[in-house]
Amino acid sequence: MGLLAIGTPLEWPEAKKVASHVRSWGIEQLLAIWRNAKGKERDALLWGDEVEYLVVCYDEKKHKVRLSLRQADILAALATDEKLLHQGGGIADAQAGTVRGNETIAPVFHPEFGRFMLEATPGKPWGIGFKDLLDVEPNMKWRRTIAKDHMEKEEYPITLTTFPRLGTPDCTTPSYPVSGPKLRSQFVPDEIANPHIRFPTLAANIRARRGRKVQVNVPVFRDENTPWPWRDPSVNYDLHQWPEDDDVRNGAVTDNYIHMDAMAFGMGSCCLQITFQAKNIEEGRKMYDQLSPLGPILLALTAATPIYKGFLADTDVRWNQISRAVDDRTPEELGEKPLKNDRWRLPKSRYASNSTYISQDPRLRREYLDPSLVIDTDLKQRLLDGGMDDLLATHFAHLFIRDPIVVFAEDLQELDLSKADHFENLQSTNWQHMRFKPPPPGSDMGWRVEFRPMEIQITDFENAAFSIFIVLITRAILSYDLNFYIPITKVAENMETAHVRDAVSTQKFYFRKNPFSERPVSRPSASGTASPVANSRPPTPVGPVEDEFELMTVNEIINGQAGSGFPGLIPLVESYLNSMNVDVETRCELARYLDLIRKRADGTFWTAAKWIRHFVQTHEKYGKDSVVGEDIEYDLVKAAERVTEFEGRDGFAAEMFGRRR
Amino acid sequence: MKLILSTSNIMSGGPSVIRRPTFEKSNTELTSSLRANFAANQSSSSNAPTHHSHSLDSTLNGDCTRPSFRDWTAQEGDTLQIPAHAPSPLTEPREAYDITVKLFYLPNIPANRRCIQTREAIDLVLRELGTTSIDLLIVSFPGISFDADDEDSDSEFEQSPSSGPASTEDGETAPEDIETMITSWRTLEGLHEQKIIAKLGVAEFGCQRLSKFLPKTRVRPSVDQINVRDCCVVPKPLILYAKKEGIELLTHNDCTNVLPRGTLREILGAGEKGVGVLSGEGRGEGLKGDVEPQWVVKYTAVVKDRGVVESKGYFAVAELREA
Repeated sequence: MGLLAIGTPLEWPEAKKVASHVRSWGIEQLLAIWRNAKGKERDALLWGDEVEYLVVCYDEKKHKVRLSLRQADILAALATDEKLLHQGGGIADAQAGTVRGNETIAPVFHPEFGRFMLEATPGKPWGIGFKDLLDVEPNMKWRRTIAKDHMEKEEYPITLTTFPRLGTPDCTTPSYPVSGPKLRSQFVPDEIANPHIRFPTLAANIRARRGRKVQVNVPVFRDENTPWPWRDPSVNYDLHQWPEDDDVRNGAVTDNYIHMDAMAFGMGSCCLQITFQAKNIEEGRKMYDQLSPLGPILLALTAATPIYKGFLADTDVRWNQISRAVDDRTPEELGEKPLKNDRWRLPKSRYASNSTYISQDPRLRREYLDPSLVIDTDLKQRLLDGGMDDLLATHFAHLFIRDPIVVFAEDLQELDLSKADHFENLQSTNWQHMRFKPPPPGSDMGWRVEFRPMEIQITDFENAAFSIFIVLITRAILSYDLNFYIPITKVAENMETAHVRDAVSTQKFYFRKNPFSERPVSRPSASGTASPVANSRPPTPVGPVEDEFELMTVNEIINGQAGSGFPGLIPLVESYLNSMNVDVETRCELARYLDLIRKRADGTFWTAAKWIRHFVQTHEKYGKDSVVGEDIEYDLVKAAERVTEFEGRDGFAAEMFGRRR
Repeated sequence: MKLILSTSNIMSGGPSVIRRPTFEKSNTELTSSLRANFAANQSSSSNAPTHHSHSLDSTLNGDCTRPSFRDWTAQEGDTLQIPAHAPSPLTEPREAYDITVKLFYLPNIPANRRCIQTREAIDLVLRELGTTSIDLLIVSFPGISFDADDEDSDSEFEQSPSSGPASTEDGETAPEDIETMITSWRTLEGLHEQKIIAKLGVAEFGCQRLSKFLPKTRVRPSVDQINVRDCCVVPKPLILYAKKEGIELLTHNDCTNVLPRGTLREILGAGEKGVGVLSGEGRGEGLKGDVEPQWVVKYTAVVKDRGVVESKGYFAVAELREA
C-alpha cells in the first residue's frame, strides 16, 4: 500500500460533496494516461511479489503473545540502516537507489494499514530469467531476516494472515483503550491503525458513509462443546459513548457468528500479491481476464485463516472479512431501504471479486459478462468520447461508481493531467481480486496486472512456490493462448465456495473444460507465407455457454482430470517448461515448488488453515468449545515461528510439507 | 519420393502438446501434433468447396468422410509436403528471440547422409521462422539414452566394435562410435563457422562419452541436454564434469527414437488411425511403397525477456521407395 500525499483530509460530509468532482478529474487523468500509454509496446516481463508480516511480541513470563504496534519505529530503524541503504534497500521513500549493474539490491519495506504490519518487496522487480525465479525464495528469507534484525529481540515478523486473538483485551503492546473517535470499535483501539492521516480517515469515512460501523460477522465453528445457538460472548451491549455503540443493539450481531466491528479486522490481514508487467495494454487485458477465474482456486488452495478474535471460524480464508471490513455501502445501496439519496443498489462491497472482463479477445463471449453490472453511464460516455473502447470504459465506469473516501482539500484546486492522484483515489480503493494498473504518468513502466487473492503462507518456501507458480501460469497462458473464460458471475460464486472449511478437499468450483482454442490452419497464400484460412470453412459452431464449464475439484483443476478432460494447471506448466531451455538445477528447484502445489491440491499436504485448526483442536488447553485461548495462541504463534524457521525439516508440521530435504 | 511432414506451430495446437504423466511416452508430442495438424488440414479441405474428382474415389472406397490427400498436401517435383505448408515467420525483431533447434538423427540411417540432412533441416527451420540464424542447435544421435541411475551407463557401449549404427535383436539401436559422431559434428562446426548457429549442443552424453568426444571437437558443445524424469537424481560426477568443462546441463523430455518407422507408417497409412497418404492392402488412392523416416527437427522460438514461447514445431522427413 503506497502512501499518497499528505494534506488536510476532508471529513465525510465534505468529502461526499466533492465526490463527483474527484471522479470527473480522475476520469480525465485516466484518459490522459491511457492516451499516452496505450501504444506502449514490447515491455519486458517484470514482476514483483509483496509479502506482509504481522509483528508479534512474546511475553515469555506470562506465556502470552501480543501484536507489536512499533511499525513506525521498525521502519525508522530500517530507514536509517546505512548498510541497507547502501545496498539499495530500506524503506520506500528512503531508498538510495545508487546500485550498479548486477549487484544484489536489498529489499524495501513499506508501512501497511495495521500498525502491527510490515510489507516487504524485492529491491528491484524480477524478470523471467530462471535465475531470477531461484532468487525469489532466498530473497524472501533475506527480507524476513532484515525485518527481524530491526526488531526487538522478543519481536518476530510472522506470516500468519490474521492474529488469532486480534480484538480481545490486552492483545497489543503498548496497550490502548478501545472506543476511540476514529474507529469507535468496542474491540480495538484507534491506535491499531497506521497513524498516517490517510488510514484513520479512511476508516472513519467508511464508517461515516455507511452510517454505522462496519459489520464483520464470520460463522463460528461448532465443536462438541460449543454452546448452540452461539452468541458471541465478547460483545458488550452496554456501551453508550458513541452513536455507533447502538449498532450491537440494533442487530449488528447475529447468532452463531463471531462479531467484529472495525476495518482493522479485515485490512489487518496479510496476503501474498503478485504484480506482472505486460508487453502492452492488450496483453495486460488478456492476463487480467485469464487470471480472474484462477483467483478463487488459488484462494482456496492457500487457505490460512481459520481463527478470528479468539474463536475458531467455520471458514478458512480471509477474503469476505476484508470485504465487510471496508464495506462503505449505505442502507440504500445495500437494498435495506428504498433508493432516495443514493444512485443505485450495489450488490458488492468495494473489496470483492472482479465484476467484469476487459480483454478485446474474440473468445470473450457476451454471455460471460454480467448483464446487471452497475456502471456510471456519464463517466463511461466521457471515456468513450475520449476514444476508449467499450469494454475498458465499462471496467473503469464500474470502478468509478464508488465515492472517493479520502480527499485532501489541497488537491482540489487545480486539475493536473500529468498526475494520477484523483484516478488512483478511486482505483486503489477498489480492492478486487485482480487489478489492472495503467503505467504511472512520467514513468517508463508498462501496463500491469496484479493478482491479489492469495493468502500469505507461513514459510517463505511456500510463498515463493505460489509466486513462481503464478508467474509460470501466466507464461503458459501466453504461450499456449489458453482460455479460462467462464461467466464472471460464476467466478464470484467460486469466491464464496473458496470460503468453505477445507474447500480444497470438499468443494467443487466452476471451471472451463477445454482451455485450448481451436487449431488454426495455415495454408500457403499468394505471398508465400502462411495465412489463416478461417474464411474457407464455416464458422465454428458455438454451443451454449453452460456446456463450456463444469464443477471441478481443486485437484482436478490443478492436477488435471482423467482422460480427455481438463489437462490441469500443473501439467500445463510442466509442458511449458519442457519447451524452454531449463538447466538441471533450476528444473529441480522448480520441481520442489510444483510438487508442493500438486500435493496441496490433491490433499496429500494440508493447507495452513487445516494445520492451524488441527493444532488448536488437539491442544491440551482446548475445551472443544471453539475458544482459542491465550495459551493456545502463544503456542500456535510459537509453532508458526518454528515452521517458518525449519519448514518441516525437523519433522514438525510435516502435514503441510511432507518429508523435506 | 521425399515426404516433408510438418506440425505447424504447436503452441496453438491444444491438447496434443500436453502430455499427461500417465502416458509419458515421450514421442507423443511429435506424433500427436502431426496427427492434429493433418486432421485440421483434412477437415478444412473437406469443408472447402469440392472441385476434385478424388472425393468420388473416396466415396467409392466406402470412406465418405476422408478427403483425398491430394486436397491438403502439396507436391512439387519429387517432394510431397504433408500437409501443404507455408512458413509462419516470427513477428518481432530477431534479437528478441532465443531460437533453439534440436535435430534428431534416426536409427539405421547411414551417417554419410547427415551432412546433407543437417543443411536441409536447418534450411527448413530458417525459412519457417523467417530468419538467418539460430541460437542453439542440439543434436541427438540415435541409440543413446541417459540413465540417471547408472553413472557409467555410457561406458559399456564402447565395447561395440562396429562403426556405423547397428540394430540389436530387440530392435533397439546401439549407439554409434565417437568417430562417426565427430564426422557428423564437423557439419555442425561448419554451420557454426558460417555464423548460422551460435552454439552447439549434444543430448544424453554421460561423462565417459563427453570426455572422449570433447578432445576431438573444434567447436565444443556448450550444452548437454539430458532426459531425466526427476532431475534431482542427476549423477554428481556429471554435474561436476559439466561445470568444469563449461557445459550447461539442460533438461528435456524427448525420446531418442522420436519417430519409429511403424508409427509413421500408421499415421500416413490407409487404416483407421491413418490419413490415407499411403495406400494399404489395395485400399485407397494413396501412394505405394516403403516409408523410411530420415530425420526429425524440432524448433522453438522464445521471446527472451518475456519467457513466452511464440513458435514451436517439428519437421520430419521420410523417403518413400517403391517396394
